[in-house]
Amino acid sequence: MRRSIAAGGLFAAGSLMPVSPAIANEVGGQPVTQSPPQIEARIPATIAGDKVVQPRREVPVLHQTSILVVGGGPAGTAAAFCAKRMGADVTLVERYGYLGGLATGGLVLGIFPLYDRNNKQVIFGVGEELMKKLDVLKDGIIDRNKAPIYPTIDAEAFKYVLADMVLDSGITAYLDCWGVDAIVDSKGAVRGAVFESKSGRQAILADIVIDCSGDGDIYAAAGAAFEKVKTSIGLVSRIGNIDVVDMAPGKGSEDANAEHKPLIGKADEGRPSKGRVNDFNGHAGNSTPAPHVNWLNMRGPVGDALSVADLTELELKHRHGTWSNVEKLRQRPGNEQVYLTETAPQLGVRLSRLLDGCKKLTVQDIRNGVKFKDVIGYSGAYANAPEFQIPYGSLVPAKVENVLAAGRCISAEFEVADITRLIPVCWVTGQAAGLAAALCIQDKCKPRQVNVAKLQNLLHQQGAYLG
Amino acid sequence: MIFLRRVPRRIIQLTCFVGAIVMVWPLLPWRIAPRLFQEISPFVALSSSIAARSIGVGTVLALVVAVVSSFKKRWFCLYLCPTGFLLENTNHMGLRKTRWWRKLPPVGKYVAIITIAGAVVGYPVLLWMDPLCIFSSPFAVNKATNPISVFLVCLGLGVLVGATFVFGMAWCVRICPLSGLQDMLFAVRKALWTRLTASTSAQKFSAARRVFFAGAGGALLAFWARRSGAARYRKSDTLLRPPGAVPEDRFAGLCIRCNNCVHACPTKIIHPDTGHEGGLAGFGAPVVKFDRDYKYCLETCNACTQVCPTGALTPLALQPKNKYIIGEALVDNNVCLTALGKKECDACELACPFDAVHIAWDEEQYNAYPVVNDKCIGCGACEVVCPTTPVKAIRVWTQKPA
Repeated sequence: MRRSIAAGGLFAAGSLMPVSPAIANEVGGQPVTQSPPQIEARIPATIAGDKVVQPRREVPVLHQTSILVVGGGPAGTAAAFCAKRMGADVTLVERYGYLGGLATGGLVLGIFPLYDRNNKQVIFGVGEELMKKLDVLKDGIIDRNKAPIYPTIDAEAFKYVLADMVLDSGITAYLDCWGVDAIVDSKGAVRGAVFESKSGRQAILADIVIDCSGDGDIYAAAGAAFEKVKTSIGLVSRIGNIDVVDMAPGKGSEDANAEHKPLIGKADEGRPSKGRVNDFNGHAGNSTPAPHVNWLNMRGPVGDALSVADLTELELKHRHGTWSNVEKLRQRPGNEQVYLTETAPQLGVRLSRLLDGCKKLTVQDIRNGVKFKDVIGYSGAYANAPEFQIPYGSLVPAKVENVLAAGRCISAEFEVADITRLIPVCWVTGQAAGLAAALCIQDKCKPRQVNVAKLQNLLHQQGAYLG
Repeated sequence: MIFLRRVPRRIIQLTCFVGAIVMVWPLLPWRIAPRLFQEISPFVALSSSIAARSIGVGTVLALVVAVVSSFKKRWFCLYLCPTGFLLENTNHMGLRKTRWWRKLPPVGKYVAIITIAGAVVGYPVLLWMDPLCIFSSPFAVNKATNPISVFLVCLGLGVLVGATFVFGMAWCVRICPLSGLQDMLFAVRKALWTRLTASTSAQKFSAARRVFFAGAGGALLAFWARRSGAARYRKSDTLLRPPGAVPEDRFAGLCIRCNNCVHACPTKIIHPDTGHEGGLAGFGAPVVKFDRDYKYCLETCNACTQVCPTGALTPLALQPKNKYIIGEALVDNNVCLTALGKKECDACELACPFDAVHIAWDEEQYNAYPVVNDKCIGCGACEVVCPTTPVKAIRVWTQKPA
């Protein structure tokens, strides 16, 4: 049964009228103790001297919930599903009009790193559940269980699966809603978040907030310490009409056992000339479930993901560059009919803020293969890094209460975060954060006081791999 | 009486044999122990000192051996040489009971002359015939990663033992350059002693003529080998020598194929060459191949440079070793996963211990490529982590002048 659309959630966010506390009460199933807030007329910002000043104003409370998940990407959706499954009242807020974040909107379709160095899968749990749902769809996912080849998903199929799961699970979801601020009480604990949407600025009160925004917007606003990093920002695209004859056997990109596959371009005869650029003499991008369509990654220049000027510049230049690269690709024999299917709706921001958590996951930890007592999951082996454990401490801010981080903005050193930012690891941290938040509600405790043994037990029950 | 005199020789020989094994294994705590073992040989010490224009640590030991040998004929062979001990015992068990090899000409003498003459030109042609390096070579077998390497490191001693079993002591008595050199030293000393009175002028003349021709032949051979070695290196793309290697025109000559460097390498990336890389002249000489997963020339290691007895690998401290250019990493952008937009890969950048590879964004091409800068010494760290198959996108190639 699909419910919740009519009951509140999705429609409430889109409706012009703010939701009355009475409706919110009905939806969330939680008693609203406060008196109904008075909605004042919106006062515009004014100029005072040479400064623009926003007057202090009351923000209407849109909704009250137990667990608020900010960000509907891989981590956010995983957190919301797992918390909801525990019977908690969960609200999910997403900035774009679809779910899946960079996995769908960013066209990061390759699901890696899933395997350890011996090609054994080490990431299960909610990620595996989602991939199983994609399995049954036509062209939903390819290269499943073919280690060391990583599976590749279809963005539209994944959007469909996630939307379905939200509709089925009864999670209250607000899309097209941009989390802009944290609500912090007098003791410094987070009590919810403020959102900007077409309905204006509104607040959602919550007992626990899970920050899956990717940029750590909420914990940063709440005053948690973080490290700001800059990485390359690219823009993934999909190209269609790849030559059928050439590409038919070329599913996947790292099959060590299949010499016949055109995994790579035609190598130079003998010594590569220094400084020779890629002339696309070969196969650009990776196969996707959609026939004759490849996804083409772009690394991009280093930029500041927290600067609107950088983001704007890259959004514009990347689309120009992608188009001209496809034109170049068409010059190669066999690729004449290639066209640009789409550029990703979202920029490929890799990292921006990294939390200073109870435990900072370090390169040394990975090299030493440290086993954590509060392990909540594994990351697969990636590049020259082996598989490694992720501790619960890396999700919990060192100081601020009532907020958990999941996804790419967790507490890790830059080089480690470069791995934990990847899709399956976001599933792992998201699932753990969701279950931890649900335990906080159950046991009436703070995130840092969560009974780790209980959490690990729950993760086990939900099929997660903890070593 | 004869019995009593023999027993001590056997005991000294056995002691030296065990001592040799202890040195080359190496069971001694000093890293240069294997190298000292070969430097005891006056043949190696003399030829390599001349060829490398430098004197090694062990030359003092070689001098002692040379002086004693010039007074007591073949003293080294009879008492110290572990190869001699091995072959002598093989001969006892062997098929030949007659001493037919006494009729053979003294080949070893001319081998020594040819080699020393070549050394003057900078290329000691037949230095690899030294019995001590032939003895120590098979000890590198624990670092041989494939059957061909196993075969190559065991080849020398295997041939000697086999030939001695079938044909008798021909090698020790007539062919070995070390025994030839000892004979010469003995003869020269004796000649000086007796002030050239005993021999007739005709004998002297013919002997001098033979020595001259052998020397000239050796020098010519050395000259040709240096030229062809240099030419081959210029043409080669994949020939990589271990760190500290002297220029290629002299390397194959100076290298005595003792396989000490193969033995010393902790990552087993040094292999004896089948001749595929260095040609016939380079047969058995060490080459570096990055054919093992995640194994490269470590930035924390200079073991191979410390064990070379001839200076073919210059002894380098860690710092200069990490500046020695083994080769240069080059990227094939038509293979690289990042350049082809296939994957988020910066394995080479992360792996590089010298900060020499960076994934650079090219605004013109609107794409990213690994770019290698001048800090690259060709340690292979990038090549061994590159995930592409079957061809690596980044590989270490023979360095070419710009």
